[in-house]
Order: sequence, then C-alpha cells, then structure tokens
Amino acid sequence: MTALLDKSPLGVAVRIARIDWNAMSDHEGRRLREFGLMEGCEVTPLHRGSIFSRDPLALTVGRMKVIIRARQAAAIEVEPAA
Amino acid sequence: MTGAIPSIALVGNPNAGKSSLFNALTGARQKIANYPGVTVERKAGHASFADGRPMSLIDLPGTYSLTPASLDEAVTRDVVLGRQDGEKRPDALIVVLDAANLDNHLCFALELIALNLPTVVALNMVDLAERDGLTLDAERLSRELGVPVVPTVAVRKRGLADLLAAVDGAIRSPAAGDVATPAGANDASLHRRARGIARAAILSETPVRRWTQRVDNVVLHPVAGMAILLALMFVMFQAVYAAAEAPADFLEGGIGVLQQWVVATFPDNFLRGLVVEGLLAGVGAVVVFLPQILILFLFILLLEASGYMTRAAFLMDGLMGKVGLSGRGFIPLLSSFACAVPGIMATRAIPDEKDRLTTILIAPLMTCSARLPVYALIIAAFIPNRTVGGTPVGLQGLVLFGLYLAGIVGALVVAYVLRRTVAKGSAAGFMMEMPRYQMPRWRDIALGLWQRAWIFLRRAGTIIAMTTVVLWLLLTFPQAPEGESQVEYSVAGRIASGLEVIVKPIGFNHDIALALIPAMAAREVAVSAMATANAIDAGDDEEAMAQSLGERLQGKWSIATALAFLAWFVFAPQCISTIAITRRETNGWKWPLFMVGYLFLLAYAAAGITYWTAVAFGLG
Repeated sequence: MTALLDKSPLGVAVRIARIDWNAMSDHEGRRLREFGLMEGCEVTPLHRGSIFSRDPLALTVGRMKVIIRARQAAAIEVEPAA
Repeated sequence: MTGAIPSIALVGNPNAGKSSLFNALTGARQKIANYPGVTVERKAGHASFADGRPMSLIDLPGTYSLTPASLDEAVTRDVVLGRQDGEKRPDALIVVLDAANLDNHLCFALELIALNLPTVVALNMVDLAERDGLTLDAERLSRELGVPVVPTVAVRKRGLADLLAAVDGAIRSPAAGDVATPAGANDASLHRRARGIARAAILSETPVRRWTQRVDNVVLHPVAGMAILLALMFVMFQAVYAAAEAPADFLEGGIGVLQQWVVATFPDNFLRGLVVEGLLAGVGAVVVFLPQILILFLFILLLEASGYMTRAAFLMDGLMGKVGLSGRGFIPLLSSFACAVPGIMATRAIPDEKDRLTTILIAPLMTCSARLPVYALIIAAFIPNRTVGGTPVGLQGLVLFGLYLAGIVGALVVAYVLRRTVAKGSAAGFMMEMPRYQMPRWRDIALGLWQRAWIFLRRAGTIIAMTTVVLWLLLTFPQAPEGESQVEYSVAGRIASGLEVIVKPIGFNHDIALALIPAMAAREVAVSAMATANAIDAGDDEEAMAQSLGERLQGKWSIATALAFLAWFVFAPQCISTIAITRRETNGWKWPLFMVGYLFLLAYAAAGITYWTAVAFGLG
C-alpha cells in the first residue's frame, strides 16, 4: 500500500518506497539524494505551506529538516514506516 | 614544505558552522573580496600555528558535494580542485562536520578526503550534538575516515589549538593510505558508507527534547507563522526609522560643524566651495543613512544567524511561487530594503538561472534606504500632518506605507510578467535545508556589521563623492552674468532645460529635471541636488535663505507634481551601483539595460498617471 509524499498526513513517519527520478531535473534529483532522500529511508512530513498555498513541504530526514516543493514530493512514493 | 605560507581551506556543508570556525580561527584578521570574474565573496584571513608560523585560511562557500548547483558552490569545487583562476590549490583542507548531522555531512567529507590533499576533520558543534543526546567517538571516526578528527566548538573556541596542530601534522606527513571511497562512487553507495561510518562513531543516542520542534509548530504555522513574520517585519521597519533618528542627527550635526570649521579656517576660494558645498554636503547627505542601513542589516544578520531566515523563506515560498519565484528569493529581496546592491549579490544562492535573473531584475523595486530622504522631504512638505478619519493612523505614515506597498506589488506583477516572457523557464524549485535554531554570536554579528559599514562608506567615499563634485562643477560654471540665475545659466541648468521637455507632460518642472540628472548616480542625490540648486538660487535673498527646502518647494510645486515625483521614485532605476552590480552578476550589458529601460518606462507611466489623476481631482 503506497501513497504519494505530497498527500501524506503531517507528523506521521513514512518510508520512501520509490522515487520517480524522471519527474524532476537531474539537478533536483541530485539535491534530493544529497539531502539523503532516497529509496528505503524514513521521513516525517511536518509542515505544509502558508496561507498562500499548500506549497512547500518541510520534512525531517535523519537529523535534518529540509524543504522541498510539492511537485517533487508528488514524485515520491511512500509506505507506512515499520 | 617550502618557505611559502601554507594555505588552508575550510570546506563543508551549509550549516556546519564553518563561518563561526573561520571567525574563531582568524579573529578580525579577515579580508573580504570577490573571486576574479565572479561575484562570489572570497573570505580569507590569517592565523598562526602554535610555534608562531603563519598560515592563510580561506572560508569556502558551503555545499553538499563536488557537483555544484549554484555559482558559489562551483567556486568551492574549483578551489579544492585547483581550477579556480588566480587561486592556488590549498595545501590542506579542514573539513567541517556538524557533529549532530553526521550521516549527511559525512557524504561530502568522504568525497573531499578522496581528493588526497592533507585533510583534517573538525567535528564541530559537539556541544549541540550532546544537547541533542548524542555521544560520539572521535577516535573511531578518525580510524574509519583515515584522517585526524578533532572535536571543536567554534563559538566557544574549544578544540582550536588541537585542530591547528593536526593540520600542521597533516601537512608535514601527507596520509599515505587510501582509505576513502574513490571518487565516482554513486550517491547511494556513498550514502550507505556514510551512514555506516556514522553509526560506528555514535556511541549512544538518547531521544531528544524537541523544544525546537515546538517552536517550529508555531513559527511555521500557516496562519500564526505568517502573523509572526509580518510582526517581525513591522518591528524591523519601525526600528529603522525610530532608532536611527538620534545617531543620524548626530552625524548630520557633525558634518555641519565640519563645514563651519572649513568655512571659518580657509579663505573663500574655489577649493573651499568644492569641499564645503560639493564634497561635505553631498557625501554627508549620504553618510547620514549609515545608522539606518546598519539597523536593517543588524536585523537581517540576526534573523540569518538564528536560523529564522529559512523559516521566513518557507512561509513566503507559496506567495513567491505564484509569480514564478521561490522562497530563496525572499532573503535577497528583504536585503534590498536596505540596499539593492547586497540584495542582488545575495541572489547567488538561487540555483535556478531564470529564477535568479527575475529576482535580480525586481530587486530595485524594493524601497531601498536611498529613497527615504526623497520620500521624507516630499511627504513632509506636501502631505498634511493629520490622522485619517478619527483613527490614530497618521496620513503621512500611510502615504509612506503606500509607497513601500506600491514597490512590492509592482515587483510581484513584474515578476509574473517576466517569468512568462523574457525569463521563461520551468517552475523554479525550492529545496533547502532548514538550519537548527541557534543563539546568534555577538562577535560574528558585530564583524558582519563592521564589514557592511565599511563597504557602504567606501561607496560613499568614491562614487557618491565623485558625482557630487561633478554636479557642483556643472552648477557653478559658467558663471552667470549679473541679473541671471546661476542655476539656469550653468551647464547643468541648460541640460535640465533640455530634459524638461520630455518630463513636462508628467508634471515635472525645471527643479525636478535638474535633480534627476545627478540622481542617476544615487537617488538620494536628488535631495542634495535640489538643496544645492536652491541655495545657489537663493543667493543673497535673505527671506529665501531663511526658508527650508520643503517650504521653498511648497511655494513652487503643485500637489499633483509632488505626488508624481513620489510615484516616479517608486520605480526609477536611479542608482549607478545597482546597474553596475547587475552588469557584473549577469555577465553583460543586456540585462542591466533591460532593467533600466523597463523601470524608466514604469516610472514615467506611474508618474504620468498619478499627475493626470491628481490634476483631474483639482490638485493641479
């Protein structure tokens, strides 16, 4: 049972099942990996947007908190963390 | 080693505490310049080994890997690979790691160690890692990495001597082993290796008290967070006006005393006129803004050092995304309220080329501090000092707020149009690490402020000093014959009469035409130019001399003209420094010329519409 990261509920840890690297530029893909966002790792979405829009998304990965856009989150399939 | 001074580069991820370490190692002995050909700041300084031998240190821009995503990251790669023009390859690297974020920071460290330069790892911010419940084994980490690892707390100057001793050792006996991952390993395997090493080095890990998370729940709340951001901005702009008043008055007084002293001490001749009316009056008019600029920068530096600035960028990203920009652009645009020059320089961190270009092109629309003297003069002279309809809101303040707002709204509209025309491109991304909250270090803040002040004063001493002198010369020659107005008769007056033909339709008079030309150098010169022209005009007429500049303008301008003049300055790109920095940042004349062109068109249209509307309402 997988869902997309941009729709996952806030505050619930999930595991990244698959990333559609083709949905983003090489550059964006590389930065995602540099943040440690890759298949198999656990992330927790925490904050989403402001009054203006539901973009962007802040999430924790390991001991880091990073910001990505909903467009990239939509390319990330997640499953419930073990 | 030969007799040459060894050069050592500090490298590491963003938010690893690299700059604090650099400041702690070098103290105030720093030199900030640009790398030749690019406008990335080069921070270099000196320190010495325990036995007194000197070394030169250079602080490289933070990056995640040797594959750069933006201009400043490219500099880091080029310097460590010895490819940067005019920069010799460093003799050793200090790789700075955030002890609390090993998994991630070790990836870049492994890449750097694989370069086989003498390398020492600074395991920085170990105190914060302990606060987060982490205990680390530096020796184990050193064995795994094959290079010395020294725990440091840069802000408390802990571990610095050990760090330098390790660097000395590494330079004397370059590591023979090749323990590190060879370059070219893919991201996933590098990450696995980094995570493995991190796990080995972490002795214990206890769950953390997440007070920072509770703070973020409020600060990043869609509604409450926005309210906090707006409140902070409000306090910031209030402080800029309120707190700067006393020191600005003091500076102004000091310049006046200096002028009187020169007048009293030296005989009346050409040189004295140049110094008193040209140099001191012109440069002085600009230097009085130093307190305001410093207060604004103080806020910006504090917001950045505490980690809040990235939260603000997060909150603003939604709005900026709608016009094709990203939250990254918020920081440069906020700086542009102080001055567009550092604002435009700060756009280097925006990775997307078109996003960056658009941000540069709209930066001059943020109401910079140089517009304040113009706004203040005209508002005080023409807008009645009363409250609006029974509320405590003052009409003058409201007009000033409206001018700021006009700039911001104009910028958003322009960005929207540019992103669909000349700066078309895929939707800008916004990927950023959120730094942890940290107590700003006063030393680091003070150092940053001092550097900004120095840059500002140097600008005042060169470009602005030169234009005022040239203007004074143009206003003084040729000498008008008896009975003719000196201002009208001078070279500047004749040029102004030519320009007047063009600006007459939008309600501008000869005074304004005259002020607009020198104001090309810097907007605030418009005020000093009008003051100088009026002073020369008043001549020996005692009644005219007793009037303030505002009072004299009141008698000569209609309200419609004054409003049109304000509207003009919301848009007009009258600042040589901004044009010059845009040329450097965009590598050519195309974009600065485009910027100047579109802004003058907007300024003309805005002034025209304001004037005609005001005249229609009977204010002509």
